[in-house]
Amino acid sequence: MLVDALTALQDWAPAAWLRHARWTYAAVNTAHITGIALLFGAIIPLDLRLIGWRREFPIRVLARVLLPVAVAGFCLAVTAGFFLFSVRAVEYAGLRLFWVKIALIVCALTNAWLLHHALQWEAAQGDVGVTPPPSLRMAGALSIALWLSVIVCGRMLAFVD
Amino acid sequence: MVIRRRFIALCGAAALLGGAVFATSGLAHHGWTWAEGENFELTGVIRTARLGNPHGLLTVNAKNEDWTVEVGQPWRNARAGLKDSMLVKGVEATFQGHRATDKSKRVMKAERVIIKGKLFNLYPDRD
Repeated sequence: MLVDALTALQDWAPAAWLRHARWTYAAVNTAHITGIALLFGAIIPLDLRLIGWRREFPIRVLARVLLPVAVAGFCLAVTAGFFLFSVRAVEYAGLRLFWVKIALIVCALTNAWLLHHALQWEAAQGDVGVTPPPSLRMAGALSIALWLSVIVCGRMLAFVD
Repeated sequence: MVIRRRFIALCGAAALLGGAVFATSGLAHHGWTWAEGENFELTGVIRTARLGNPHGLLTVNAKNEDWTVEVGQPWRNARAGLKDSMLVKGVEATFQGHRATDKSKRVMKAERVIIKGKLFNLYPDRD
């Protein structure tokens, strides 16, 4: 059943067209990488602040600047990623590494969601010069580790069969 | 210090996870690192073709053995004058290129394709 859905996806006209496109395929690749760059580049400074780096800046200030960029980057990466996947849906879905990557993305999003809804997150918004609580430090470190793992898995997808 | 140690441990864990996944994932597909340096030639009949991005794959039957032959992306095939309609089931072709270093796998990357005596050079700058 999953195979039927995946076959339908890669037979879908835009996917079939993209499979034989030269510059559009390259452009979608570029969009995927740009999305990753925005997400990772924006989330790492915030994660480091949560761990305790540069604690002279309140989390609120950094989050207002960095979170929208990270969210936009994530949306771009997912959209472009969907199209890259659609070109060879059955093949990618057959790779264990692909599902490891998806699982890691789910973990990273869960970590972000839990952090955002934690009481400690609210309480620490305006803190300056104090060591963040352990739960925030943990969430920050976990975020870095998870997103880094997602990137490693994604890149390695091109090198396995 | 405790924070830093935990941070380093987590980064280490991530690197280990990535490394483990990579190590257990088998043959590298893209590029040339998985192929040996010597030239290799295969003649057979195309059984299946999956052409297009990110790279084209053919199943070729040669002496009753199925081989996987990697051909170019669409633009590379097109540049060589090779049309998708030529790489279809039943076509006999000779592929010149490099075989996978892992001899247990019948996989090769084609640099040149010869169909009915006509040469299609995917990599004019390689020999």
